[in-house]
Amino acid sequence: MEEIINNTKKLCEFLKKMIIETLRLEDITPGDIENEAPLFREGLGLDSIDALELVVAIEKIFNIIIEDEDVGIKAFASINALAVFIQDGYQRALTN
Amino acid sequence: MEFKHRRVIVTGATKGLGKAIALSFAREGAWVAANYFSDDQSAASTESELASLAQKYLLLKADVTSKNNVDKMIKSVVDQWEHVDILVNNAGIIRDKLLMFLDEDDWDRVIDVNLKGTYLCSRTILRTMIARKFGRIINITSPSAITGRAGQTNYSASKGGIISFTKSLSKEIARLGITVNAVCPGFISTPMTESLNQDIKCDLLNKISMRRLGQPEDVAEAVLFLASEKAGYITGQVLAVDGGLI
Repeated sequence: MEEIINNTKKLCEFLKKMIIETLRLEDITPGDIENEAPLFREGLGLDSIDALELVVAIEKIFNIIIEDEDVGIKAFASINALAVFIQDGYQRALTN
Repeated sequence: MEFKHRRVIVTGATKGLGKAIALSFAREGAWVAANYFSDDQSAASTESELASLAQKYLLLKADVTSKNNVDKMIKSVVDQWEHVDILVNNAGIIRDKLLMFLDEDDWDRVIDVNLKGTYLCSRTILRTMIARKFGRIINITSPSAITGRAGQTNYSASKGGIISFTKSLSKEIARLGITVNAVCPGFISTPMTESLNQDIKCDLLNKISMRRLGQPEDVAEAVLFLASEKAGYITGQVLAVDGGLI
């Protein structure tokens, strides 16, 4: 997992697969998800209930807690934003 | 053994309805985590019954009005049992007074235990249920929430809030395989109701279409039904177990 987190390209691909699998998006492939496209409402069109599932999945896989809705909104803005959030969280955990 | 290996937390589980619910789950094969707050004697008695009935059990002393206590309680269950399938928010208190004499502490404490406790336990349990895409949350309300009762503005407000909370939460998480329902027990036979004087008892019985008090097991059966896989398409509902009282 450390290798994936430290490689932004690999991390973005991992996150796309994770989103597709967690939300059971049968008609979507990782290639359909652009790194800068919004994940919610537009772009992938996810809603707040989808966010709950993703929050739990992120917390379980990366051991990073998303306690605050505002933090979650920023983190889930796009695949790139989510990757940065996870990399920052991982770095903070290492230094603590 | 309909609930074999299902992990259940029941709050306020060492007396009255909570105890009947906890023991009923135990008889059906569930792993039962019984929460209580202060009555160590009742807790010890319930523990010995759980020990003889339950596949596995935990006795958890925790104040459901404290986020810290609730977080630790649920974490300890998840750490030992990996996950929780069913939460029964039964912990509740009464401090009956006419409003003019109802002081702030009587108001706050009843709202905190009954309603805030339900909120804290439900919020904290969600992650384990969402991760498995399965859960049952059953909240205990009261006829007082629906009809009102003199002397119970605090209690009926807390139990009415539980109904609204149940309905709203059910809409949030239905898609995630989690149902949220409420059970509304009527007048149930307990040492307290059995000791009422004859006139008050007659007056109570006349209000009940079936002309008898319910048994704790009547309520427990309703809770177990809503917790079962058979009730998988029922959510956001209030099931009155009251012999036709309301």
